Amino acid sequence: MSEVLTIRGLTKRFGGLVAVNGVDLRVEEKETVGIIGPNGSGKTTLFNLITGLFQPTAGQIVFMDRDVTSARPEQRVAAGMVRTFQLVSVFNSLRVWENLVLCVTRFDAAHSSIWKFMTSPATGGTIRDDCYGVLRLVGLEDKAGTMTSELSYGDKRLLEIAIALSLKPKLLLLDEPLSGLSDVEVVDILNLLRRIKRDVTIIIIEHKVSMIVDFVDRLCVMNEGRFVSEGEPSEVLRDPAVQKCYWGKEGTRGC
Amino acid sequence: MKPENRDIYELLIIAGSFLLLVPFLHTHRITDFMIFCIFVLSFDLLYGYMGRLSFGHLLYLGAGAYGAGLSLRHLTANPLLAILLGIAAACLLAMLAGLIVVRATGACFALINLAFNQTGWFLVMSPLRGITNGQDGFGIGAMRLGFFNFGSATFRFWFVLITLLLVFFLLKRVTSSPYGVLVRSIKEDETRVRFLGYNTYLYKWLTFVFSASVAGLSGALTALNYAYVNPNTMDVHKNVGAVFACLIGGAGRLYGALIGGVVYMLISNFLPLYVLRWEMFLGLALLIIVFRFRRGIWGSFEVWLSRAAASARLRAQSGKGAPVK
Ligand SMILES: Nc1ncnc2c1ncn2[C@@H]1O[C@H](COP(=O)(O)OP(=O)(O)O)[C@@H](O)[C@H]1O
Ligand SMILES: [Mg+2]
Repeated sequence: MSEVLTIRGLTKRFGGLVAVNGVDLRVEEKETVGIIGPNGSGKTTLFNLITGLFQPTAGQIVFMDRDVTSARPEQRVAAGMVRTFQLVSVFNSLRVWENLVLCVTRFDAAHSSIWKFMTSPATGGTIRDDCYGVLRLVGLEDKAGTMTSELSYGDKRLLEIAIALSLKPKLLLLDEPLSGLSDVEVVDILNLLRRIKRDVTIIIIEHKVSMIVDFVDRLCVMNEGRFVSEGEPSEVLRDPAVQKCYWGKEGTRGC
Repeated sequence: MKPENRDIYELLIIAGSFLLLVPFLHTHRITDFMIFCIFVLSFDLLYGYMGRLSFGHLLYLGAGAYGAGLSLRHLTANPLLAILLGIAAACLLAMLAGLIVVRATGACFALINLAFNQTGWFLVMSPLRGITNGQDGFGIGAMRLGFFNFGSATFRFWFVLITLLLVFFLLKRVTSSPYGVLVRSIKEDETRVRFLGYNTYLYKWLTFVFSASVAGLSGALTALNYAYVNPNTMDVHKNVGAVFACLIGGAGRLYGALIGGVVYMLISNFLPLYVLRWEMFLGLALLIIVFRFRRGIWGSFEVWLSRAAASARLRAQSGKGAPVK
């Protein structure tokens, strides 16, 4: 198996605060890695570094055998690195299906020229059908025509994951995709993720360990910007270092 | 209705609406209105669609006016070529300025544009006086090329009307394309668009240049319509008019830009005849729009239409016998 992502000594300082402190991580193809850790431990910042929203203070990021440490976010997306956001991020001012227009046109040969991109109707050709096709995958097809702002939080999450999947990711980074959802919605999203797990490499951040413990192949525990433990999920949870930093602060409510 | 037919009907309705003004206003006035509408359309692409409010868009109108005017004076007697050169002047200027301004957002974007506009105004007033004739400006002589007789007010009316329709049609195509979705997405959340794999800087620049070129077209037409160019064409104070027109018509809607453009022109042309300090009413109207009338005339009309359609659907359902509470 080949490595999709390799991180070496990744560090990010915000003034005096070291949010991410010398993190090393290797992710193999088709692997699902979970990252857990208390609030403020640097999980989201780590994603922001991997995906290029922030430049690291030190360290190196290699994606698909290419050093992308200084690549722009859109270049990383073009290479197949796709993410979702902790606060659900969809386009509220667009209709639901329009959220996918920019994704499907990226892979549509008919829109490869800027002229076509700027003058052919978004409702015409295969674009709209392709968008509806993606929505069908996540079960949002019957809401395709509504305004995105009118969707429930759970549906917005589904839409956001649909957007991510339509970008044909090789590596999918999910930042707390289950937070703020009802139990039913959590099941929906986990079912969806289980379906794609075999085809995509996934890194998932989650606050509630119990939700993802049977879903991930490997679990990393982050605390104060470092990985304090890493390995097979059930073993990691038994690690005394983890119990100290994680449950010590959080109590056992989360699991 | 076929989409192509629909386009034609829409253009006919727009043309018809301007023709309806003919019995009430001088053709010269209506031509002026239509040129302003072209400018508002260009402004709306930047402000209403992409969410970038500029306080210096008149610079590109001015560039178009001076570009066309100076071309007619020194380079060519062909008014159509002069219009193209006016657009080219605005386009080139925006290509350069755009490299800097599109990096900014919000107040910074507005103010950097304002600074560029002021600089342009100053250049035209004083250092380039030898070419532009400073404050006094210059007149443009005979502007006739066969059938294209810009000396005739009637010809100018038709020419500008057709140009307006072409601009409207072009913008309609462009704003309903995937690129249109991109521009609206940048307005809502530019970072998110980058994470869809798009180089937003490039597209913001492109939109800025496109918008400025259309503004340049309206400037070139202004020069031909008045046969005269002076620094007033790029007076930053007029920028407020475009903002107001977008807001009152409904920002981010092409029809909104047209309606807003005409309404603003009517107000600014005729209110001063009856009311001293008419700008105060403009200010009051702006307050009402911002607090009570967010969507503008066209936006409110759309809401009303969709509500009417929804209640018609409800009535049709209850007509089929389903009891309604
Ligand atoms: N843009 C930023 N500027 C300054 N500090 C930040 C920024 N982003 C995150 N931080 C800080 O970095 C630390 C880690 O935050 P974060 O990565 O969001 O944690 P987590 O996602 O694990 O809850 C926090 O102390 C947070 O305040
Ligand atoms: Mg976080």
